[in-house]
Amino acid sequence: MILKLAWRNIWRSKLRTFTVMGAIIVGVVALVFYMGFMKGFVRTYVSNAIQNELSHLQIHNPAYPEDQEVQYYLSDVASLTQKIKQQPNVVAYTERTLVEAIALSARGSRGLQLRGIVPEQEAVVTKLNEKITQGVYFSESKYKNPVLISERLAEILKLKVKSKLVVQFQTVEGDIKLQTYKIAGLYKTSNKQFDEQNIFVPQSKIALSQTGEPIVHEIAILLKDADKLVETQTVLQNTVSDSSRYLVETYLEVSPDVALYETQMTASSSIVIFIVMIALIFGIINTMLMAVLERTKEFGMLLAVGMKRKQVFLMIITEAIMMALVATPVAMLVGAALLGYLGSVGIQMAALEQVGISEPIYPTIDWLSFLIIGVSVAFTTFFAALYPARKATKLQPVEALNSL
Amino acid sequence: MNIVTVQQAQKTYNPDKIPVHALQGVDLTIEQGEFTALVGPSGSGKTTLLNAIGGLDLLTAGKIIINNQDIATFSDSELIEFRKQNIGFVFQAYNLIPVFTAKENVEFVMLLQGKSEQERDTRVRELLTAVGLADQIDRRPSELSGGQQQRVAVARALASKPQFILADEPTANLDSKSTADLLDIMLELNQKENITFLFSTHDQRVIDRARRVVTLEDGKIISDERVS
Ligand SMILES: Nc1ncnc2c1ncn2[C@@H]1O[C@H](COP(=O)(O)OP(=O)(O)OP(=O)(O)O)[C@@H](O)[C@H]1O
Ligand SMILES: [Mg+2]
Repeated sequence: MILKLAWRNIWRSKLRTFTVMGAIIVGVVALVFYMGFMKGFVRTYVSNAIQNELSHLQIHNPAYPEDQEVQYYLSDVASLTQKIKQQPNVVAYTERTLVEAIALSARGSRGLQLRGIVPEQEAVVTKLNEKITQGVYFSESKYKNPVLISERLAEILKLKVKSKLVVQFQTVEGDIKLQTYKIAGLYKTSNKQFDEQNIFVPQSKIALSQTGEPIVHEIAILLKDADKLVETQTVLQNTVSDSSRYLVETYLEVSPDVALYETQMTASSSIVIFIVMIALIFGIINTMLMAVLERTKEFGMLLAVGMKRKQVFLMIITEAIMMALVATPVAMLVGAALLGYLGSVGIQMAALEQVGISEPIYPTIDWLSFLIIGVSVAFTTFFAALYPARKATKLQPVEALNSL
Repeated sequence: MNIVTVQQAQKTYNPDKIPVHALQGVDLTIEQGEFTALVGPSGSGKTTLLNAIGGLDLLTAGKIIINNQDIATFSDSELIEFRKQNIGFVFQAYNLIPVFTAKENVEFVMLLQGKSEQERDTRVRELLTAVGLADQIDRRPSELSGGQQQRVAVARALASKPQFILADEPTANLDSKSTADLLDIMLELNQKENITFLFSTHDQRVIDRARRVVTLEDGKIISDERVS
């Protein structure tokens, strides 16, 4: 009977019912979209960072991350790379020489990082060869001392392909060295900051030591199965054994930014969810309260003819639950459809280029979060109904009957 | 047999601010099968007295005894239960459940009482036929005239088989034809089924048909006449 009464009651003021249901639908869809977008965004951001810069694992001299000095290079690289190659989960690796340098040009000098790479390895790990927009990659360059700089830096320094670029850096022994390179090509990644700060030369073209031995500061490793990230890290660290000489880190350790990004996104998602829920609660409390106040006289009558206060309470809660039960599945269908659509076409946002993302974001959501959103919005509706329902049970029959 | 006994009933509204002495020592007994009109000028305390007897409001002093039970001893939920089993209400403004049909409105209190579907069905039909609404069984209040709605309300009040029916100005919103019809029905129920009615009214035509007229003035009973 209470079910019948509640069901009829929710349809007596269609506008109000649709307001509550609309709020539920908007709430769920907004949350699903937001979560999906954030997840898609973080995923793109992280995979970009891995593909373009960080790779999955990096090995350094333990002193290097703290203090990126040229003398903290890796010893015995040959046997180290031998061990890396033997790991089944390793797809590729690349050796890098990293030197703080100053580029000298007619437009002034500019501090940047000189990256000495092994062209074939880098082509596999970060696909640098595919990022050439003008000129050619090292493998096709005939210059004796080729350098790759970004389009952006070329613009800033007013340089072109074939221009000369003089770079100054310090050797392992502490001598200052000047080296002239010729620009073989210009590259462009999706990360502006990276582009402004990095230039590439073949590893063999940086004479960092008088002995002529190759100086490697970093080995970046790409994995087959990224889910076994920490596992592989541990295995590798144990294999190279000597932790005073080698430090194996995951991309999350190498770039706390990326790790922070993920946690920040989760935190900000929670805040947004919280805000949406609060808005929803107040919206629903308000409409339900109006519905209750409007029916005061009727509640007075119901109490007079013998309806228990508990039953009145239950009736109002049931009304809210019914609205939630009708609206939530609809909302979740709409949310899933929206996300399904956007997840296949993607969202292109110019604003995101600032943070190094130029490709579209493909929103995505896991089933658990999706269900949690639906269930928590339904629960929110239930909680929002508690106060108005309680209010109705506090009525005195005579006063209620006398009200307008 | 006495069903209702009112002893020295006093009711003061706003005791702290400007007190209104709505009832000032009312003594009254209602017997099984009576058809009593409560009359008196506006503000004389009719509604106050009916609400007190119906357990909708508490007295400031005095007692209301129904079936040998002092209703002041009941808790709030016992009082609701007591009303449900013993008292039928008819309100001036009909106060039907707008989303329920005539049938469902009459059935409602029986549902609250937990009566079986079969019992409900027969009684609803019986009552709606008695009030002349056998054809309007599935109409909602908004599809019925005021007089028809009030007849549904009378049927509803009777559905729970109460000891007596309280009605505060049941005909105040009705035209004279509907008033006469409703009174016919109430009198018939009173005579044939010995149902006890206590109602307030300002309407002389209603007063004329009562079998007992209790007159209130300034919260006191000034006359109590039985008409044979
Ligand atoms: N809730 C209340 N608060 C304060 N005073 C009240 C309240 N209800 C009634 N009164 C006062 O109590 C007195 C009796 O009122 P009551 O409603 O019982 O009169 P009544 O005989 O039913 O009048 P009417 O014929 O106009 O319906 C009046 O003076 C009224 O103003
Ligand atoms: Mg009155």
